[in-house]
Parts: sequence; C-alpha cells; structure tokens
Amino acid sequence: MNLWRLEWLRLVRTPRAISLGAVFLAIGMIEPLVTKYESKLFAHVGNGVRIIAPAPTAAGGLNSYVSEAMLVGLILVVVLAAGALTFDASQGRAIFLRTRVASTWQLIAPRVAVTAAAAAVAYLLGTLAAWYEATLLLGTLPATRVLAGAACGAVYLAFAVTVTAFAASFARSTIATAGIAFVILLALPVVGTVHVLARWLPSALVSAPADVVSGAHQLGYFWPALVTAATAAAAGLAIAVRRLNAREI
Amino acid sequence: MSLSSSAALAASLLGHAASLGRVWSALVPVLALIVGLDAFCLIDLARSKSVRNAPKLAWVIVILAVSAPLGAVLYLFFGMDRSSRRTRGASGPVAIGPAAPPPVLPVTTGGTPARGALIVTTADLTKDYGGNGLFGVDLAVPPGCVYGLVGLNGAGKTTLLSILSGTRRPTAGSVTVAVDRRRVAVCPDVPDFEPWLSAREVVDLARALVAPDLGATAVAAALRTAGLADCADRRVGGFSRGMIQRLGLACALVSDPELLILDEPTAALDPVGRADMLDLVAGMRGQRTVIFSSHILADVQRVADHVGILRDGLLLYQGTAKELLETYISPRWLIRVADDVEPVAAALAAARWATSVEAASADVIRVDATSMEAGERGIPAVLAACGARQVSCEPAAADLESAFLALTGNGPRS
Repeated sequence: MNLWRLEWLRLVRTPRAISLGAVFLAIGMIEPLVTKYESKLFAHVGNGVRIIAPAPTAAGGLNSYVSEAMLVGLILVVVLAAGALTFDASQGRAIFLRTRVASTWQLIAPRVAVTAAAAAVAYLLGTLAAWYEATLLLGTLPATRVLAGAACGAVYLAFAVTVTAFAASFARSTIATAGIAFVILLALPVVGTVHVLARWLPSALVSAPADVVSGAHQLGYFWPALVTAATAAAAGLAIAVRRLNAREI
Repeated sequence: MSLSSSAALAASLLGHAASLGRVWSALVPVLALIVGLDAFCLIDLARSKSVRNAPKLAWVIVILAVSAPLGAVLYLFFGMDRSSRRTRGASGPVAIGPAAPPPVLPVTTGGTPARGALIVTTADLTKDYGGNGLFGVDLAVPPGCVYGLVGLNGAGKTTLLSILSGTRRPTAGSVTVAVDRRRVAVCPDVPDFEPWLSAREVVDLARALVAPDLGATAVAAALRTAGLADCADRRVGGFSRGMIQRLGLACALVSDPELLILDEPTAALDPVGRADMLDLVAGMRGQRTVIFSSHILADVQRVADHVGILRDGLLLYQGTAKELLETYISPRWLIRVADDVEPVAAALAAARWATSVEAASADVIRVDATSMEAGERGIPAVLAACGARQVSCEPAAADLESAFLALTGNGPRS
C-alpha cells in the first residue's frame, strides 16, 4: 500500500472511473449522432419556425464532441480533482496524512497525476468513440490530426487538474476549491479575447482538437499554449505545495 | 419491371440498407453504453442492502427516467452505499474483539528527572489566537512515562498536542522533541479515513509511510492490539465511531513509535472500550512515552504517572500524580464512633492539627489535618482522651478531581 495505490483505489472503488468513462464515452457517441440528425431534430421542435442548420460534416461531429466534453466533462474532472485534493477538509484525515509525510508534495503528486491521467484516458476514449461515430455517419477523419488534437485536449484537462490543486491551497472544502478552479478556468478565455494573448493562453487548447481536424490551424499553432500550460501547471503546483506546507490544521 | 429499373431499385435498396447498417452501427455502441450503465446500476441497487439519500424505488425511477446516462451517474455518486461493501476475501459479520492484554511492565515512579533526559520539552511556548490559546507553557515530559494532560474544554490541550505533533506552529517559544519525527505517532480525537479502504489497508498505508521496513506482520499485530483483527478486511465506511477510534490507535502503533500523542483517546468509546484503551495506554509505560489529553479525570488518574494541568492556556501544574495529590489534597479521615458525635467532634476541632472537622452523618465525623503524620498521631490521642468508642477510622481517597478543582480554583481546597 502506498499513496499511488491509494489514488488508484480511489478511482476504481468510487464512481470516479466509471463516471469519467461513461460521461466522455456517452458524449463521444451521442454528439456525432446529434450532428447527423440536427436538421431533423430542429424540424421536430421548431414549432413552425424553420431552422436551417449547416450541412453535417465529420469535422462538425467531432467539434460537437469537443464542445460538450470541454463543458460537461471539464466540470466533472474539476469536481473529481477537488474531491481528491481537499485532504484538509477533514481534520482527522489531514492529521493522519500530514503527520506521516515530510512534504505535502508527496500527497499532491499522486492525486494530480492519477486524476489527470484518468481524465486524459477518458477524454481519449470519448474522442475515439466520436471518431467512430463520425466516420460511420458523416465521413472520414484524418487519423493523425484527430489524435494530435485529442492530445491537446488531454493536456488542457491535465492543466485543469493542476489549477484545481492550486485552488485547493486557498480553500479547504471541495465546493470552494472547485469554485475557485472554475473561476480561474473561465477567466482564461475572457483574457484570451485580447488578441495578442489568445494564442499563448492554455484556453486556446480547448478548440485545438476541432481546429486541427478541420485544418483551421496546424498543430504548431498551439505550441505557445502548450508551453504556457506546462509552465503554469508547474508554477501552480509549486505554489500549491508551498502554501499547503504552511497551512495549519 | 425492366432489368435496369430492377437493378436501380436493388441498388437503391442496398444503398438504403447500407445506410441503415451504418446508422445501426453508430447507434449500437451508444445503446450498449447506456443500457449497460443502467443495468449495472439496477443490479447494484437490487443487490445492495441499503442506498443513500432516497428509497430504492426512487432511484429506479431516476435511473430509468432521467436522461441517460445522467440518471445512472447520479445514482453512482449519490445513491450507491459503498460503506457496506467488503474487500475481497473478507469474512462475514464479526464482533469487535477485546484489545490484546498489555504486557506487565514495571511502573516508572519518581519526580521530574533532569531536563537533559526529557523526551519533550517546550520553552515559553505560546500560541495566541487573539486572547485564547497557550501562554508561556514549559512542558517537560520524561521518557517512558504516561503523561496525562488535563484541562477543561478550551484550556488549550488540543492546541498543545497539535504543536507537539507539528500540525500547528507556535507564535513564540520553542518545542524540542528528542526523537526522530518518524518515531512520533499521533492519534487525533476524531480520526477519519477513506470509507472505501479496509482497516488493513489503512494501517498498511500508515506503516508504508513511516516504517516501510516493517512487513505485514506489523499490520496484523497493530490490528490485533487494537481489537480489530476480526474486521481487518471490512471497509472503514461501515465502522462505528469506537471502531474508528481503535483504528486510529492501530495506525499510530503500527510503526512502534517512541512517542505516542493521543488526543482524547477515550472520547468516543463505550465503557468497555474505554477500559480496554486505558489498559493499553497503561501497558505502554516503560515501552514508549505516551502523552494523552483528557477531560475525564478518572481516566488520567487511572493510567497517568505524570500530570499536566492546563487552564486558560496556562500550565498550572506539572509533575507526578502522587505529588499533585499530596500537595493539593489535605489528608482526610472518616471516623465512625459508637457514641454521640457532637462531643467527639468538638474535641477534635480543638486540636491544633485539625483544619476542618464536621459531622458527616449521625455517627461519622470527617476530619482534615495539616499533615498525614499529625492526623495519624492526633486522632487516636483525642479519641482516647474523650473516651469515645471508635468503630472505624479510614483515610478518605484522594482523587484527581479534587486536586484539579483545588488547583484551578473551581472549588474549595478539600
């Protein structure tokens, strides 16, 4: 038994793993389907209003998956990460852990790594499901571009987990931690409206899967965002460790 | 129908079938996922003894009626009762066994040793929370003793233990612990663990973090000592408050610490559990140093050989329990006479060594003396002088509660 195994058990003995898999897979399977029959769905619910939807394409189907995954899926990932990283929420649990480790880095590293890995795997599974559905219903998608874009999406989810770890150093409860993380993640695209900053912010990675597949941007366009995400994640974790080491129980 | 039109129709039908085939190929995985998840949840619901937050029927409706798979996800997070699950290989329902009998060890007695031989010392330790906290505490804990920290609620016991265990920092002063931090184990007043871990896994995690060289036998021994051997593979989520308290102790003992810090170790235990816990603590005297806090004075008197009394953040007394009782409790006797108590009481009250004389009942007189020797010599002399017929004369038991009340000014010096 060790802290890494603890996190693995947290994934498999609680609904975390199954929920991540189910949600991302469901989104991946449903969104291309919805894209395919969007116009018919609108016709049924239009109430006499004629809604003209663009012709469905495979890239559009994948784009629908990315949009939903980075909304519903992101919320789930942040909430699950907050639940794992707020070990100070319970005084008894905090004392059990903190009196047995030399630094809170020993506690944070497995929680961040395992949660980020689980989120990335779930996102990739959803991408594969969306790829499968889109290929069947809408047309082929280039494999390398789909995988490259998915990698960018996975990096963003990992970044979101480190943002949650940073937030956990400011709050003790799961809800407050998730709230702070959401505020930070929502603020990034707002800052990204400043044109010169947009390409450098990690939030640019949200649209990377769709942009790379559709050909709007090459993968190289997102290197600044990837570097910023990695740097910000490392800095955020360092600050989190420092603040958590100084916290009193 | 011409051949060409037939071919065209066949091609159209084949194309339509192929299109339908692709649609079905796209739909089947979605349906499989949704149906599989719902089936998993419904089977779990049927097999569970209990569910959380709503009746089983309500969860059935949620799983089937709420937009799939969200209903199933809601059940997984908010309805599934994981506390009743066992880990693989766990046995059936079990009772909590008694703690293993502690080894018989010689009792360490005597006053406070030289400061250099102390295992824990604090110098002018202060933790100021804006008027509350600790102020100028000079703690001196000898090695191998059972040190009972006593005080009312809010006296600063938990604050002091938190500083000793390193989870809080003092505002001023210093703390010296003469052992490696890995040889210090802490059990808080309300232990808490992940509910989906078994007791064995929790203790094993504690072992792995501080004493990785020890093997599984140390885990089994710690569980046995805490009386949890029979439920080692049960998940903690199904434990009672007392069992969790025992589990906290097992986690502390698994690494065989030199210094054991216990915050209110008997707070959540029933009378049998309290007795077991106190026996365990008493049995550790000489093996390791134990510092435990309690507001149950009888517990402290039972097991502690050194006592520290806190009030409003100040350490009012520190020393052996024996010295405390001798210093703050006046010697007292209960004398039963066969004659009228009034003349005998008057004769005793006239003696210089008597500090307090009162008739406790129709035939019993309570006498306090200036010292044990004065009472032992004076009482027989007075009784003989007034010709009283003595039925019995026994010293009243000095207890920590009386000493505590006298020291903290919450009652008259007894």
